[in-house]
Amino acid sequence: MKLRHALFGALLAATAMGPAYGQTNTDITIVLSEELDLVEPCMATRSNIGRVIMQNVSETLTQLDVRGGKGLMPRLAESWEDRGDGTWRFNLRQGVTFSDGSSFDANDVKHSFDRVFSDQITCESARYFADTDLTFTVVDDHTIDVKAEPAQPILPLLMTLVTIVPSETPMEFVREPVGTGPYVLSEWVAGQHILLKRRDDYWGEQPQVTSARYVFRSDPAVRAAMVETGEADIAPQITEVEATNPATDFTYPNSETVYLRIDQTIEPMGDRRVRLALNKAIDREAFIGTILAEGTELATAIVPPTTLGWNPNLKPHAYDPEGAKALLEEAKADGVNVEAPIEVIARTENFPHVTEVGEALVQMLNEVGFNAKLRMVEVAEHEQFYSKPYPEGRPAQLIVAQHDNSRGDPVFSMYFKYHSQGTQSGVSDPKVDQMIEEATAATGDKRAELWSQVMAYVHDEVVADVLLFHMVGHSRVSERLDFRPTIATNSQLPLAEIGFK
Amino acid sequence: MTKLIGQRAIASLLSLLALLVLVFFLSRLTGDPTSLFLPIDASQEMRDQFRALHGLDDPLLVQFGRYVWDLIHFDLGDSIRKARPAIDVVLEAYAWTLPLALVTMSLVVAAAIVIGSLAAFHVGGFFDRFASVVSLIGASAPDFWIAIVAIVIFSINLGWLPTSGVGTPWHWILPVAVLFIRPFGLIVQVVRGSMLAALSSLYVKTARAKGVKEGKIIFIHALRNAMLPVITVIGDQAAAMLNGAVVVETIFGFPGIGKLMIDSILQRDFNVVLAAIMVTAIAIFLMNLLIDIAYSLLDPRIRH
Repeated sequence: MKLRHALFGALLAATAMGPAYGQTNTDITIVLSEELDLVEPCMATRSNIGRVIMQNVSETLTQLDVRGGKGLMPRLAESWEDRGDGTWRFNLRQGVTFSDGSSFDANDVKHSFDRVFSDQITCESARYFADTDLTFTVVDDHTIDVKAEPAQPILPLLMTLVTIVPSETPMEFVREPVGTGPYVLSEWVAGQHILLKRRDDYWGEQPQVTSARYVFRSDPAVRAAMVETGEADIAPQITEVEATNPATDFTYPNSETVYLRIDQTIEPMGDRRVRLALNKAIDREAFIGTILAEGTELATAIVPPTTLGWNPNLKPHAYDPEGAKALLEEAKADGVNVEAPIEVIARTENFPHVTEVGEALVQMLNEVGFNAKLRMVEVAEHEQFYSKPYPEGRPAQLIVAQHDNSRGDPVFSMYFKYHSQGTQSGVSDPKVDQMIEEATAATGDKRAELWSQVMAYVHDEVVADVLLFHMVGHSRVSERLDFRPTIATNSQLPLAEIGFK
Repeated sequence: MTKLIGQRAIASLLSLLALLVLVFFLSRLTGDPTSLFLPIDASQEMRDQFRALHGLDDPLLVQFGRYVWDLIHFDLGDSIRKARPAIDVVLEAYAWTLPLALVTMSLVVAAAIVIGSLAAFHVGGFFDRFASVVSLIGASAPDFWIAIVAIVIFSINLGWLPTSGVGTPWHWILPVAVLFIRPFGLIVQVVRGSMLAALSSLYVKTARAKGVKEGKIIFIHALRNAMLPVITVIGDQAAAMLNGAVVVETIFGFPGIGKLMIDSILQRDFNVVLAAIMVTAIAIFLMNLLIDIAYSLLDPRIRH
């Protein structure tokens, strides 16, 4: 009895002395799924770093407006013009200071790019400028010319990917990033939290959030619980299972596209009828609302519908098992080995229910006469199958892959996935190569039209892959916040977009 | 005693060196970290530059030679992912694992000894049943399930404790409680079994016949003799905890060595893997030494 009293007393004391979770009303806590290894601005295109750094601590010359649909907008550059000969002139914003008090000028832009291309550090944003030589000419403190060889028609769009640092920043990864953004990184306790505080001397409009504390929890149930208990205000990645409260949970397209990459060099994938049969064998609708979340959309392109040149006239290949069987019979009669074993290779934890999706795909393929088998692999092994050089002596393989493009232009996807030189391409078609090269070099409406044509040709004529789904993400947002996640929330989370009710 | 420590230290040093060689080459057999650090559409030029920057383009033996040379100069290299000294990353994580293991194991040992002894004294009584229930839960319920259920009950429904994190002592209650169950369930049964044997021995009967009080019989006469097998199990459980508690660290956001090690293996952050294994090996060596010393204190036969 005494023990019971003691236990009861202890619990009572625990209740009375419980921790206070309350925060000042404009300080927020964001719970992310993985800890940041780095806070280096030139790595901000990596999504986990971008969500903290991009447009909060560090800014870019231009920005893509995905919320208002206004397209490319000024940020640190007020305006830009194509001066011909591959040269773009950027007129920079005046009166901007970095968080260390120094002024922003054209030399900072030049130095930021010098870092990106330096051989002393490996900056992720360099990948967007492969095969392009950039020359920077500082015209005056607030004007800079950038000459691209070969000419780069979307250079202003590429400027959304490079964060600007002061010219004093060393050629090594920094742990205390200095930027022009509305927030400064004031504390980073490795393994625990990162704290951003609002700057008083920011050049633009003052955001409402005064400070943001980022914490890291791997388990989605815990992240969701933290918002529910008031320990956190935003959990950008929770699973469909947790997203049950309509008042706080949002489901939205997350810019990821799931598809089966076909390698046409291995029999029987070189035969168009076989590739068409693969497409007709899949009952795409059956996945949605069952093993994939409601709101998932059928894909007709490797890029989401918000991308320039996305072709609304394309229709997903209809589920037609009988048609698929007939195509296989026809191919078989012509001597194509349609019964060759096919490995369907998927990556564990690539997206929710990836194993179940793989199993269902294999089942559907085998029902029409394919000889497919599922193979689940870890991220590193998956990469060996997905990217060139592909393994020697491989059997026919279908790679279940997820591709993210929230950048607004197909150039970030089409070359890699469909050009014969593309790192993850299974296609080798001179016409596709030429179409991609022409679209890449075009501007304005012509560009959109050419990309539309590439997408149609790849989808309907080449039948290059089995495009499956545009995925959705789920976020939980505290009811006290006025914030709705967007397609870009996967890669960045600008605190300036967050308000209070 | 000094001789014992010396012998153990030399044996452990040799094991540590063998471990170092083994882990160095085995970890590199898993592949190149370049493809995991860089995005999949990175150019060949970026990949080559990354390899050159981190010395991954040198022959394996040259890389090993460089590692050993640096090691002699107390440099365990930098973490590729975090761009800072691997030893700093590991020690930071250990600063969380060590107190978590210490606090949990201290509570486990104290509770298991007291409750196990009382369970043996009153077979079928309250403490015996309590020990059986906890042992059953520890053996049958997975850690992650207990952790999630604990969060649902104590954080969401009752609102008494934070769901996760490390900020205050309150944050430690759930992780320690979840970690407590399995080793407690195991050790309490060993204590109980060992005590039952001790309590039915002739020297206990003699003590009773001489009129010694029950408390003194249990905790002085019987317990010391019953402790030898218990210490072995405590050692095993403590070693497991020093290796990190991956599930608890993952769910409660506890930045310990277990999750760091798993992440580093998956990301092929070789220097962190090596540093983590070396530090853990040293910690386990020190703990084994403590266990040996405890043995020799409890059992004069070992001492002499």
